[in-house]
Amino acid sequence: MDEFKSGFFVGGESCNGRVLIVDDEPDIRKVVRLTLHKAGYDVLEAENGAKAIDTINSGENRLLLDVIICDIRMPKVNGIEAIAYLRQNYPRVPLIVLTGFPDTDMATSLLRQGVVDYLVKPVEGDKLRASVARAMEQRELAHLS
Amino acid sequence: MISNIPTSGGTRVPSAVPPDAAGHRSDQDGQARMASVMPTPATRVAIIGAGRGGTALLDLLHQLRTIEVVGIADRNPTAPGLQRARELHVPVYERLADLIGNHRVNLVMDLTGDPGMDRTLREHTSGETDILGGPASRLLWDLVRHESALQAELLHSEKLAGIGSFAAGIAHDMNNPLQLILGLAENLVDERDLETVHLQASDIVEAVKRTTAICRDLTSYSRRASSQQDSLIAINGKLDEALKIARYAVALQDIDIHKSYQPDITVKGNPDELLHVFVNLITNAVQAMDHGGTLTLETAVIQGATRVRVVDTGCGIPADVLDRIFEPFFTTKPPGKGTGLGLYNIKNVIHHLHGTIEVESRVGRGSTFTIMFPRETTAESRSSPS
Repeated sequence: MDEFKSGFFVGGESCNGRVLIVDDEPDIRKVVRLTLHKAGYDVLEAENGAKAIDTINSGENRLLLDVIICDIRMPKVNGIEAIAYLRQNYPRVPLIVLTGFPDTDMATSLLRQGVVDYLVKPVEGDKLRASVARAMEQRELAHLS
Repeated sequence: MISNIPTSGGTRVPSAVPPDAAGHRSDQDGQARMASVMPTPATRVAIIGAGRGGTALLDLLHQLRTIEVVGIADRNPTAPGLQRARELHVPVYERLADLIGNHRVNLVMDLTGDPGMDRTLREHTSGETDILGGPASRLLWDLVRHESALQAELLHSEKLAGIGSFAAGIAHDMNNPLQLILGLAENLVDERDLETVHLQASDIVEAVKRTTAICRDLTSYSRRASSQQDSLIAINGKLDEALKIARYAVALQDIDIHKSYQPDITVKGNPDELLHVFVNLITNAVQAMDHGGTLTLETAVIQGATRVRVVDTGCGIPADVLDRIFEPFFTTKPPGKGTGLGLYNIKNVIHHLHGTIEVESRVGRGSTFTIMFPRETTAESRSSPS
């Protein structure tokens, strides 16, 4: 396997990093994939928190996943539960919340838990890409520390 | 959620407990207690005049357990109150003497507005019969109208208060298509492949339609219940519509929804009010299932009457709370989360339709709300359901 360094190699193909989008709406996953592909990111998809946990625990994702973008209101394991699990088990993978519901209390609580950004849909492509880029920097700093 | 206070055993209560319901237990001063709980004979009332006032009074008095409406009379055979009386199985008379002469009437209520009527009534009644007419009757009519307007206002206020809890659901359902529209539109700026342009433009159009459908649903739901005459309501369609609205208030993703509908059932009533009833019952049911469960919506015609059931597998309602859930301002929700008027308003709407509502509940197992619409509101015809 290639040596870990975000933004260079994923399984031999050049890309800027691997991002997991967790959202129950296929349309949202599709548009996030489209938006991040333009910036050279490899995008994985999960339709709920349970699938996200499965995905991050499978194979090379355990090492090569750089950023997770997560919705809040989802079936089965919702965003709050998934984020708590991921922060505890994968504290070095930066999390971005992308939600349809602006809730100041929830945003504050999640940012305190270490979430990198709390974005409210609809979010412009540039803003989403900038947020992912910041998360990538944080990911690399975490690996250097 | 109605409550999560633990207790054991299942309990069933109707929406209104009869005045003598406490008289079942035996005790030492049984005789005195028995005397105090013997049912009081109903006051026998005759209504004269079947116009708007007579109709409203008939509707009101028919709901009271302490009143027996022995009949209604009007010279005009097409007066609206006569049709209403027939629906309620209240005897209808064209001749005053036939009504008053053939019954032991305690009270005659004159709503004709005819100044000579008082004299006529006194000629036909004994001294034991009270007569209420003239200004007293007008005052009563004003009070009935006022009470009716207050009920409508209360229902609307409670509905608007409930819509506050829709915010998260609306934001979710509006912002998701908006995200798709924005993302695709940004992509189209640089897109050169014509097929992709066409596909993404179609996706944008569909997303806009979804967004406008949400606005249409909510605008329709939030409007004041129309004061139009009751119409035929297709019950199954109204339950489906309520489910669509309720999903803004509560997350249905983790709820299994089971529908058991008997086809083509209609009842006569106000469609806006009935939608509100169903939205409230479904919302309560889902809120009682914090960790998922099964919501069952069931309709059936039993011996000519329509039965609607909303069943959940949630936390259930403790017996000591169950007796009070239809009381106004009674709530077990945290401050700011419930008005305490939801089930109270439901009971009023159902009573207005001459139906009944009952609840059976078992803590830890769930609750079943059963609404029965009597035969007279269960329409035989399948025509023009709303």
